[in-house]
Amino acid sequence: MSEAAQAHGEYLLEVRAEEIPARMLPPAAAELAQRLRERLAERGIEPADVETAFTPRRLVLLARGLPEREPDREERLVGPPVSVAFEDGQPTPAALGFARRTGVAPEALERIATDKGEYLAATQRTAGRPTAEVLAEVVPEVLARLYWAKTMRWGSGHGPWVRPVHGVVSLLDGEPVPFRLFDVEAGRETVGHPVLSPEPFAVADAADHRRKLAARRMILRPEDRRARLLDGFRAAASELGGTLVEDDELLDRLAAICEIPGVLVGALDEEFLELPREVLIASLRDHQSALTVEEAGEPARNGEGGGRRLLPFFLTVMDRPDDPAGRVRAGNEWVVAARLADARFFYREDRKLPLADRVDRLAALTFHEKLGSYRDKTERIVALADTLCAALGWDEERAAAVAAGRLAKADLGTEMVKEFTSLQGVVGGLYAREDGHPEPVWRAVYDQYLPATTDDPIPRGRAGRAVALADRLDTLVGIFGLGLVPTGSRDPFGLRRAAQGVVRIALEGEMSFDLDLLAAKAARLYREAGVAGFDQPEEVVERLRPFLDDRVRHLLGLAGYAYDEIEAALAVGGADLPDLARRVAALHAARGSADFLSVVLAAKRIANIIREHEEYPLDPEAFAEDAERELHRAYQALRGEIDEAAAAGDYERGLARIAGFAGALDRFFVEVLVMAEDRRLRRNRIALLQAIHRTVSRVARLPEMVVEKAEYRR
Amino acid sequence: MSDHPRAGDSGTHTFQDLILRLSRFWADQGCVLQQPYDLEVGAGTMHPDTFLRVLGPEPWRVAYVQPSRRPADARYGENPFRLGKHYQMQVILKPAPKDVQALYVGSLQAMGIDLAVHDLRFEEDNWEAPTLGAWGVGWQVMLDGMEITQFTYFQQAGGLELDPVSVEITYGLERITMFLGLSKNVYDVEWVEGVTYGEVRHQDEVESSRYYFELADVPFLQQQLDGWEREARRCLEAGAVLPAYECALRCSHLFNVLDARGAVSVTERVGMIKRVRDLAVACARAYVDSRERLGHPLLARRRGGGEAARDMAGEPEAAPEPAEAPAAGAAE
Repeated sequence: MSEAAQAHGEYLLEVRAEEIPARMLPPAAAELAQRLRERLAERGIEPADVETAFTPRRLVLLARGLPEREPDREERLVGPPVSVAFEDGQPTPAALGFARRTGVAPEALERIATDKGEYLAATQRTAGRPTAEVLAEVVPEVLARLYWAKTMRWGSGHGPWVRPVHGVVSLLDGEPVPFRLFDVEAGRETVGHPVLSPEPFAVADAADHRRKLAARRMILRPEDRRARLLDGFRAAASELGGTLVEDDELLDRLAAICEIPGVLVGALDEEFLELPREVLIASLRDHQSALTVEEAGEPARNGEGGGRRLLPFFLTVMDRPDDPAGRVRAGNEWVVAARLADARFFYREDRKLPLADRVDRLAALTFHEKLGSYRDKTERIVALADTLCAALGWDEERAAAVAAGRLAKADLGTEMVKEFTSLQGVVGGLYAREDGHPEPVWRAVYDQYLPATTDDPIPRGRAGRAVALADRLDTLVGIFGLGLVPTGSRDPFGLRRAAQGVVRIALEGEMSFDLDLLAAKAARLYREAGVAGFDQPEEVVERLRPFLDDRVRHLLGLAGYAYDEIEAALAVGGADLPDLARRVAALHAARGSADFLSVVLAAKRIANIIREHEEYPLDPEAFAEDAERELHRAYQALRGEIDEAAAAGDYERGLARIAGFAGALDRFFVEVLVMAEDRRLRRNRIALLQAIHRTVSRVARLPEMVVEKAEYRR
Repeated sequence: MSDHPRAGDSGTHTFQDLILRLSRFWADQGCVLQQPYDLEVGAGTMHPDTFLRVLGPEPWRVAYVQPSRRPADARYGENPFRLGKHYQMQVILKPAPKDVQALYVGSLQAMGIDLAVHDLRFEEDNWEAPTLGAWGVGWQVMLDGMEITQFTYFQQAGGLELDPVSVEITYGLERITMFLGLSKNVYDVEWVEGVTYGEVRHQDEVESSRYYFELADVPFLQQQLDGWEREARRCLEAGAVLPAYECALRCSHLFNVLDARGAVSVTERVGMIKRVRDLAVACARAYVDSRERLGHPLLARRRGGGEAARDMAGEPEAAPEPAEAPAAGAAE
């Protein structure tokens, strides 16, 4: 045990279990650190630093800078009321009893005032316990309560935990902090690699633990294993005369399934290179957790590189430093060959039938039992994509979108997609290309599931955007029509992602059209097909609207717009998404100016005044005072300009014009009494305010804007 | 691909050699060396010595080879990897011993696999059998990137929580033999020296494929399914649990054949799985009650200090009924 460790208040925890699933390790390690910090903080113990690490078989935590003990505590105990504590100035049995219990001399008892009267009180000092004692109590509780996505029980009544626990190292400055986790006693003993170095050994402290594992070729920190693997893969790829096709997600996974990050290089038969690049990559990734190597050149990301040819090799991890007999390589090559033979068989089978000939077969594939087959869905996608292109004036892309819509789902019947569901769309696109469909068509099919994640781009071409949007909107309207609205974390149809896709495609693709009209059309298509629940298409759209609005709020919020800017713009319509985005941006830009602030305040005032009135006709002849005539003139002069700016989508100019009302409005409210006695005068003034309200609302519902007190005074 | 030496490994060359070595190994661990169940089943798990024995408190260790029928995987004997019937080595240890992973590694060494030159990994793979109301947590065991075993801690069977927890170890025998010999076609594997797997089984694969995909008489099989379901219910009502379970197994296999024949629509599928599952769950419950009525003979035997597992090869049903066993039907 080292002197240094003793001085630092260093706590090492290692829990050894049977292999923990890779996907559960990172969140568990993070939670372990956080919960332990929280539980220690409750006791006034704050380590300088908490670090975690893991391998499939161990969860490790290292805390540094722990104090020797928890702080001393003072606790005030309340005793009997003073009224019964003394009789003739002498302590009664009640007072004496309290003094005895608290260990405080009767004359040293304090008096405190409460709302029930004066009471006796005693202050007790408790010395803080040694940190080791606190750890022994807190650590097993935190460990036992860690969240795991799936837990199990084992033996007779142990668990629930993620996997059976086999050993715990728990050392504070080299001294064991004993506790029991399930049926395991914590101590200082651990083991190495289960096959290569299974003999138990004792560790003195954290440094010794790391050193002894390193001597057994094991690396505790996943990021270190990842870095080692990445270096090894890159070096191996370049030795093979190519470049690694990098895949961050797979690399994370590989680092999480080994303790010793051994790089394994395998070869595959050249003949498998006849398979499309995407299929090879997916097969190696999904079945063998293996990376691929492509011809050297600029580094390309998976899926974006497109053109470069793969080399007949694969790279993966082995949980050992070397492959002395070549058996690991031979075995992996054997499995890969079997898998690729399967993939090639699927590919050749699939290619016997053109993609277009598979469309009718979709009648046998259920999209949703109440919403019909994928054949039915195909028809709706085609109709919606066609309508959408017409609405956008995309005349040149219209035919490609319709053709792509017809082919979009045909790959769901292919063997390849049954085997690699992650390749849906991609396979259709590749087959459409091989069938000789023009590039806009096959690309649209290829890209239709984009964006699948927040990092993905939207489809590359207009036809792809039209099809991708039509497909998602059809799903949203269909499922909402059945009343299967996502609740909480339950979203079995992935509707949030679908809605996010619709919004992102329309926004980023600058697709200015009325989304509500298209959704209504989608609902009518279901009604025409005789699906129950779609008798009132507009009602379905109304139900869907708030769900889409939520996605809009989320995305525009991410883009840096304030909540009230988004709400004010949404309140006057969110069906045309690029238009909405321009209005939000204009509000954001305008809100700094003083004129705009006074218009917002005036708009709030106007909204209050007109709230309870029906629409009145405006009679320009009926004004009585100069201020209202001036406001009316200002309104007339600017109305046209605002309409024009709004029509051109130049909302910043529009808002600047509205801000031009400020002076006339201020004067109006100072000099004119809107609620005049005279009914005709009163109604005419309200009518003027209503007209102004309508015009201003072309951009946003300004009263929704939050005006800080500080902004008032400016 | 280059030729690789088979350095380090020893022994296992033939299909039956693997069976013999695994049988010997698990017999030495005190397992009842059971025989394949004499009905068509989809997996070793469905053998009553697994599905029913994992229920309730009685200890149990068993190992057996189970021919497992998967009609949908049949390929007319043309696919080098897929078979309509394959052989599993099934092991149940109840309760799962603390050192079960190490025991398993020992079984690999017993096969002649020298782990000093291989890469062994346990990858998450949770097992679920909806038709049995059963699920478990565990891994697929990967040897040099090849899945050689399913390793599962049973958590539930027949919809019942299991306590104690059993571990199920299922070896895919054809795969392992192929892999150890780096053989590219299952039909080339030597069953015993001089006789190939193909010579033993190929005709069966070809003709069974024809039956599953072309010949099976759909209305007849549907009638059979309905009939065996009724029979299962009747047996359950009469308190004959094991015959009821056999009826349920027949239903399960009939469903698989109908499914392979393309006679089960998507909507029907859900309903048929539920019918089989309901039977399995009812059998599981009835079995738990029946063992309780018998006074859990295997538990009593172990408490009595008998050298546990090896003694269990006796006839448990014949064990003397304890005095306090509840009267038959009391659990109803």
